Amino acid sequence: MSILEVKNLTHTYDGNTPFMHDAVKNVSFSISKGEVIGIIGHTGSGKSTLVQHLNGLLKATEGEILLDGVNIWENKKNIRAIRSRVGLVFQYPEYQLFEDTVYRDIAFGPKNMGLSDDEIANRIYEVCDLVGIKRDYLDKSPFDLSGGEKRRVAIAGVMAMQPEIIIFDEPVAGLDPQGRANVIKMINDYSKRYNATVLIISHNMEDMALIADKLLVMNKGELAIFDTTENVFRQHERLIRMGLNVPIVTQVMLSLKQKGIDVPDNIFTVDQAVDYLLSLKQGGNRNA
Amino acid sequence: MNNIIEVKNVTFEYDDADRKDIILKDFCLDIKRGSFTVILGHNGSGKSTLAKLLNGLYKPTEGNVFVDGISTVDEKNEIEIKRRVGLVFQNPDNQLVASIVEDDVAFGPENLGHSPDVIRNEVDDALKAVDMYDFRKSTPHRLSGGQKQRIAIAGIIAMKPDCIVLDEPTAMLDPKGRAEIISTIKKLNSEKGITVVLITHFMEEAVDADRVIVMDDGKIVADSTPKDIFSNISLLKQVGLDVPQTTELLYRLKQGGMNITTDVISIEESAQKIYDAIHLEEI
Repeated sequence: MSILEVKNLTHTYDGNTPFMHDAVKNVSFSISKGEVIGIIGHTGSGKSTLVQHLNGLLKATEGEILLDGVNIWENKKNIRAIRSRVGLVFQYPEYQLFEDTVYRDIAFGPKNMGLSDDEIANRIYEVCDLVGIKRDYLDKSPFDLSGGEKRRVAIAGVMAMQPEIIIFDEPVAGLDPQGRANVIKMINDYSKRYNATVLIISHNMEDMALIADKLLVMNKGELAIFDTTENVFRQHERLIRMGLNVPIVTQVMLSLKQKGIDVPDNIFTVDQAVDYLLSLKQGGNRNA
Repeated sequence: MNNIIEVKNVTFEYDDADRKDIILKDFCLDIKRGSFTVILGHNGSGKSTLAKLLNGLYKPTEGNVFVDGISTVDEKNEIEIKRRVGLVFQNPDNQLVASIVEDDVAFGPENLGHSPDVIRNEVDDALKAVDMYDFRKSTPHRLSGGQKQRIAIAGIIAMKPDCIVLDEPTAMLDPKGRAEIISTIKKLNSEKGITVVLITHFMEEAVDADRVIVMDDGKIVADSTPKDIFSNISLLKQVGLDVPQTTELLYRLKQGGMNITTDVISIEESAQKIYDAIHLEEI
């Protein structure tokens, strides 16, 4: 049973004007509970527009979104409840911090859900442990934190609502390698702890190879491919035509293959490459 | 003069009411004319502050920054400095001002008071240099991220600068856009002889630089060739950075007992190294 189903979604911007264009065209897919889905596509391919429909932030021009089999717009008054079940972390979410303490900033979402003060406190401590925010940070002003720390607080604010589905729009953009690794770990830990379904928009193919079960590839507003990460990264030429690429380590493997070494086409992480290349050595003349 | 930029004993602190941070202290750096320098460092290491000091957008609290021998500290030099050193930022949407591409690129030369026919040439040359001439009549908001960023670069090029400083110009771009920007930057450096200072979090973008500088806590902790820098994996990890995936692969193959050196970084060179190592085993 799929937790989220998108049916024939079309979104038209600037309708009935000379600038009218479809940002998302007739997109359909469904996602099972607990899956981690990577969304890739060139800039302007419709990724952000697509995900903003999933919690009712945008309303489809055509088509529908089913959450647990129910259209999210079935009862308009319920849309706020939908937004706490489907959490959305925007690009550069740290620009949206606004409270005077980290605690109050993280509490904002849970408060809007109508939770009691005790429950809110519990959730805040829980999420802080999960994402590695120290307790003594809670009384600080979010504006005194570093860029990476602010990003973490902003993400914690969405996680504290404990959404079943959590969507990240380019969560690692602008972060240094350590910050990138931290955010990827937070996302992984959250999905494991709550068996949550995760959607991540990213331009970083190496990160996608590490965390995504499946990849959803957008191209010019259309859904071009939706398949396992392995099956998507196998289509290296097609990805390049769409302005994308495969992970760097896979590019090294492709180059080895051209040189005549028999390498499989499902190596997308450094771990996989190291295992395979060292086994070649032990296995002797496998490529002779 | 051999150095286009000389940073001499610069201390820089933000002096807000509630925030007094020393970002750089007694900082020195020379940038050679015509060189391609990459600056790496974690968020908050002082890279962006340095970038803004290089064209006088920020003035040093103490010390001096010289561009082509001219001090940025003296207000009357402002136009001469900005003409020589252009800055490109992360988000292209924040850098484009006009509704037509060529008007946007003309903004700089217009402010320098050039005559219309000179501006026409400068704009055309700049758009050709970034391969966006065909889009001169387009409207920027209809372009892709990589295209917009190239327009921002053209706006700098039109002022015929000696040096371009780019602060994470690819952070928001897709893989194709990133590749476009990096190849544009390399071309401007090798063909037009423009000095490039590129600040980035993507280790792969440092591969073809002449020089890589690693900053940590407002100080330079390493300053050498890319091969040299990326062979020092422990230092990079210590300052919160990483190595390119190619280096990591070679390093771990070596640890696993493969007879291989780790002194290359490009994809092609890495594949060749692995190929050679595997064949060597077989003989």
